[in-house]
Amino acid sequence: MHNNLDINVHHITRVEGHGNIVVNVKEGKIEKLQWQVPEAPRFFEAMVRGHSYQDIQTIVSRICGICSITHSLAATKAVEAALGIKVSEQADKLRILMHYSEQLQSHTLHVGYLAAPDFFGTPSVVPLVARAADAVKTIVKAHRIANGWSDLIAGRTTHPVTLIPGGLTRTPTEKQLRELQQTLKNAVPDLKKIAEVVLSVAGNVPKFERPTEYVSLKQTTPPTYTFYHGGITSNDNKGAALPIEKWHDVTNEYMVEQSTAKWAKWHRDAYAVGALARFNNNAELLSPMAKGAAKMFGLQKGCCNPYMNTVAQLVECFHIVETSIDLIDQLLTKGLKTEKVISTPKAGKGAGCVEAPRGILFHEYEFDKKGNCVAADICIPTNQNHANIQKDFEKLLPEILDQSEKDIRLKLEMLVRAYDPCISCSTHFLDVQFVR
Amino acid sequence: MTDQTHRKDVVVIGLGNPLLSDEGIGVHLIRKLSEHQDKFPSVEFIDAGTGGMNVLHLIANRKKAVIIDCVKMGKKPGTIKRFEPADVKTTKKMMHFSLHEADILRIIAISRQLGECPDQIVIFGIEPESLELGQNLSKTLSNGIDAYLDDICNELC
Repeated sequence: MHNNLDINVHHITRVEGHGNIVVNVKEGKIEKLQWQVPEAPRFFEAMVRGHSYQDIQTIVSRICGICSITHSLAATKAVEAALGIKVSEQADKLRILMHYSEQLQSHTLHVGYLAAPDFFGTPSVVPLVARAADAVKTIVKAHRIANGWSDLIAGRTTHPVTLIPGGLTRTPTEKQLRELQQTLKNAVPDLKKIAEVVLSVAGNVPKFERPTEYVSLKQTTPPTYTFYHGGITSNDNKGAALPIEKWHDVTNEYMVEQSTAKWAKWHRDAYAVGALARFNNNAELLSPMAKGAAKMFGLQKGCCNPYMNTVAQLVECFHIVETSIDLIDQLLTKGLKTEKVISTPKAGKGAGCVEAPRGILFHEYEFDKKGNCVAADICIPTNQNHANIQKDFEKLLPEILDQSEKDIRLKLEMLVRAYDPCISCSTHFLDVQFVR
Repeated sequence: MTDQTHRKDVVVIGLGNPLLSDEGIGVHLIRKLSEHQDKFPSVEFIDAGTGGMNVLHLIANRKKAVIIDCVKMGKKPGTIKRFEPADVKTTKKMMHFSLHEADILRIIAISRQLGECPDQIVIFGIEPESLELGQNLSKTLSNGIDAYLDDICNELC
């Protein structure tokens, strides 16, 4: 047991967007324990005001470089809800396919580049390449497949260009979809290899449990492990799903002193979103291979170990690939058509919701009769997880206080990483000093 | 699907977020350069935005990669500087909390370790004046666009 402990994982150099872990223990008593997010407000909502309904998805795709397709899809769905625009079955399926590509991109990145170094005991992915070259190469290959998949359907790996209200500007050819399907079939052995590698170090996943509320989408018609359609549910909501328009009743956003980012709560004082939330609410609807992967890791519905979010992401990778292979079959069986999309502006207000890789995401817009945006409201998954991270800290620290300072720090950092918060994607990539 | 075996030898990648004024200079310049694609048939211009680790795949197995980004170099705002990875050391502190952090120099290091790094990597860094929220560049950077394009095009000739 530490009598005195002072941990301050502090980010001091970034212009915008960072998170701090602060721990103060004095004479064996925890005096301060905080997950702080002193992030500069981004005001993206103000930025879309005045813009045409046709431009919203392009602007908001820049909110995040990891979840750009997801933001574009949520925005497009909200615009379509506001203006009463219908989408064809083909466009709907292609969008789901596009969305899956980003889920696979993000999940492989998270498992391979962010979580794996912890499991292998290396400080980052750079030294991991030397330590586990084959594993890293397999991860890179899977990530590369996901990127090529996004290129095909979204027109670009990041910041999609094919999405418009009412449909898509481009339909892939039958040949392209068949090639994609074959690539996904070929990727299955690689996913199995990744799962085996992660399983070999899964003993390093901390044993920690804290029951909480898990919030995600739920689709009942037809019953689907959904990332795209459905209503809002939680394990506290007795299986019922709220319509998307009621999302404010779920998030109940509020301000706290320790963070400039908003926090959220529904039935309890905090809730979690993300892969583990989706798994806990919908696990019985996973594809057969995904169920097999969950079994391999002993991941069961009701799991309340937040560190297992990474494993849930890996399980979802199998579901995404297996389901997409089937989705392509459905598209090809029906036959691809070139679709012309026409939409007309009108006044209206609407909400759109999809599952981002790191949890449920809400967009809401209001338009005037010319179709120009007059109000916008966005609630990202990371903000919905902040309170839950804090509550996890509060239960975790007393349980590990007898461990070394290094181990305590690592476990707190790993916990944050398990949620993969979106706290800094808008900053530039280089700060340099010239050495020659 | 992107076919890695039939890629153009040279890639020019614009990075940044065009919603944060000068932070998006890389993206603004790529848009301009793409208008001149016919002059550079063996060059691929890519707006990579804030895609982070995706740069690893965009540069893989090319002969040359040119990266354009807003870079804090301690220079006068608007200054453009051409450098190669070995010319600099990163001063960026990484928390490794999130995938949303990225450091191009570290991505290049991974690319080398994987044995797929281009023979030559050139970075054009442009010192920002404003990183405020907004879709327009500062006047300083806006006035420098033509000169920046000249420098980059000379690199591609």
